[in-house]
Amino acid sequence: MISDWSSQLKRGVLELCILQLLREEPSYGYEIVTTLDALGPLAAGENTVYPLLRRLKSDGVLETFLRESPNGPSRQYYRLTSDGRKRLIALSKEWQAMANAVEECLHKGDSK
Amino acid sequence: MTMNHPLVNRYVSDFNNALPQLAPAERAEVVSEIRQHIDDAMAAGRPIDEVLQALGSVEALARAYQLELLVTPRTSAAPVQPRSDRWLKIMGLLALGSLPTFIIVIVLGTIGLSFTVTGVALVAAGIADSAGALPVWVRSDIAPWLAVVSGVALTILGLLSSWGTIAYLRFVGRLVRRVVPSRASATV
Repeated sequence: MISDWSSQLKRGVLELCILQLLREEPSYGYEIVTTLDALGPLAAGENTVYPLLRRLKSDGVLETFLRESPNGPSRQYYRLTSDGRKRLIALSKEWQAMANAVEECLHKGDSK
Repeated sequence: MTMNHPLVNRYVSDFNNALPQLAPAERAEVVSEIRQHIDDAMAAGRPIDEVLQALGSVEALARAYQLELLVTPRTSAAPVQPRSDRWLKIMGLLALGSLPTFIIVIVLGTIGLSFTVTGVALVAAGIADSAGALPVWVRSDIAPWLAVVSGVALTILGLLSSWGTIAYLRFVGRLVRRVVPSRASATV
């Protein structure tokens, strides 16, 4: 099924996108989920994104801190650790290489 | 604004009860984050049924956390050697390497230093002797040419030994770094 295939594909890419979203400034769960939702095919659903955020934290790629929110109790924010920055660079390179190869592969099919 | 809707309270408390495997601190953060998500979504004007439906059943959400946190292998951003392992390796290096290092540094190092100094002194004395300019407090029993030749030979031996000592110490340094990588180089 196509949805199975794309969810497999998304699993790995989602981590790269979350790291990239947090590259410039920290963010919190709801904001991350809605940003991904707005990106269409990358929409992952709460029950994928939240557990993934926790795993990235326990892997030492992300860290959390509390920040006052305008409406209510303080929110839990995520930001990249220095290991997270290294991982983002490594994953971006990996993705670029993969995307180029897939692109080339598709064009090979075209010319025949 | 904390929504004290009974449906929300029930969902959050059921979710908390569905996560017994997580460490208490982790579990508290996870539960408060989900509560926060519900608050944020409702503050954005989304109806409560829709918000809870998007989160999925309590059991499915808890299972997703367990899968991610307890089953999926670590991405291991920074593979750091376990402490005990590091210490074992350091002890092993000390046990195997300390005697040869002791002997080589003492013997080669001493030969290197003393031969070089003596050799240079002999050459100087030989030259001075042949020029008849030997200071009165130095008495030479050997021919000046013999002093120069043996002085040169001693200097060469001394320099070779010094070089050997330095090369050996460098080799040991590399060995130590390879067997016991520092944290900084291990993260790459």
